[in-house]
Amino acid sequence: MTKTYPKASRPSLDNVSVSIEKGEFVFFIGPSGSGKSTIIKMLLHEVSPNKGRVVVNGKDVTSMRSWKRPHFRRSIGCVFQDFRLLPNRTAYENVAFALEVIGKTKAVARRVVPEVLELVGLGGKEHRYPHELSGGEQQRVAVARAFVNRPLILLADEPTGNLDPDTSIEIMRLLDRINRTGTTVVMVTHDSNIVNQMRRRVIEIESGRIVRDQARGVYG
Amino acid sequence: MRMKYVLSEVLVGLWRNVTMTVAMIITMAVSLTMLGASGLMYQQVGDMKDLYYKNIQVSIFLKTDVSAQQRDDLDAKLKSDPLVKEVLYVNKDEAYKRFQEMYQDAPDLVNAVKADQLPESFRIKLVNPEQYKDIYDQYKDTEGVDEIVDQSRLLDKIFDILTAIQNIALAAAIVMAVAALLLVANTIQVAAYSKRREVAVMKLVGASNWFIQAPFVLEAVVAGLIGSLLGLIALIGAKYFLFDGSLQALRGLLSPIQWSDIFLMFPLMAGVGGLVSAVTAWVTLRFYLRV
Repeated sequence: MTKTYPKASRPSLDNVSVSIEKGEFVFFIGPSGSGKSTIIKMLLHEVSPNKGRVVVNGKDVTSMRSWKRPHFRRSIGCVFQDFRLLPNRTAYENVAFALEVIGKTKAVARRVVPEVLELVGLGGKEHRYPHELSGGEQQRVAVARAFVNRPLILLADEPTGNLDPDTSIEIMRLLDRINRTGTTVVMVTHDSNIVNQMRRRVIEIESGRIVRDQARGVYG
Repeated sequence: MRMKYVLSEVLVGLWRNVTMTVAMIITMAVSLTMLGASGLMYQQVGDMKDLYYKNIQVSIFLKTDVSAQQRDDLDAKLKSDPLVKEVLYVNKDEAYKRFQEMYQDAPDLVNAVKADQLPESFRIKLVNPEQYKDIYDQYKDTEGVDEIVDQSRLLDKIFDILTAIQNIALAAAIVMAVAALLLVANTIQVAAYSKRREVAVMKLVGASNWFIQAPFVLEAVVAGLIGSLLGLIALIGAKYFLFDGSLQALRGLLSPIQWSDIFLMFPLMAGVGGLVSAVTAWVTLRFYLRV
């Protein structure tokens, strides 16, 4: 697929073709502006390619009508560098909010949320507000929120970008555990340390082209 | 639960930005009051036209020195005229009786006038009151005719005034509606901005569009409905204090405004207020939230 943003002199993604299998753990690496984030945005149907198709979970996202997008998003969890938690809600409420706004009842939230907070290692800190949690803990809440709906795919856009190396590794362990439940994990990162430790599939992008696609790769 | 969530969001949203909400409701109320007043006026003019045109007459006053022959000729001519529906001859005594009735509140005036001084007249009803001009042209030079007076001339002036007031009210309603629209758009933008984090998360986790938009749209609709309620109260106040109060003197002229007419205006005001707010909010959100 090819994506050119309006006003851009060269395509952000130039004739890129990637296929990711269910249950895989994939790193997208490359310098800033190489087009990594565009891939994430396309998977979320935030932008559409000018040419080519994006198929997620067997559905052609390219031709998807925009009113179907909300429902489509429910099968994808997202984690970002800046956590994107609601500051006036506790850890529990942040996760429960994600369930309630897609129509789950409070009873469901009461059953599921403590479970997933336990899974990410935040048992006992459910009622802390984001500002009372460390960066790593906040990112755990974000992961819990992304995972609580049991998505098929977890997209992580530099999830360790704001964290120190030790905390980063803990978050990676968590993502690895989620991957083992069968969830496909797609992670965009700059962090060579992590890529080298995890030894998973690495796709390197430069100037909108794939320059490397390697199973059990390193940062290079 | 979802309904409860949406409703609590609406109340919180209105309260968070309470000065803006009050401004929005007040402009909305004024605009809708004007709209309601204009609607009432429209009904009023219609009612009055029906009422008056049914009874409208053209009076042909005769000269005091008219001869019996001239009078009989005119009578015959009027009776055979296809434009004329009904002819009534009023002699001096009857004219005096009518005069007495009409000015019974002013006995001095009545006493000062003798039956002799009042002219005889023919009161005619036209098949079509608008053909007054033809009658006038036809009979103005007939011998014995002094003056031809068409009551509808007078009424037309009153109707012109009422229609002008109605148009002013409607124009004011539209101007205020524009102000109200801008305030709604602004309020919704502020509300959306203050909830931008929630909205971003909702979009991310796949909350449906209506669920994201509903609290904002309902916020505007609730404000619109409160505005129309205040407008209704203003109209009731206007009837109570103005029409039944200080404008009592015009009672004989204006047909009375019924309570039922005022309450009939409420659905119009609430409908316009609610719908306009909802559409404005929705359009604002489409630009502002891109959901």
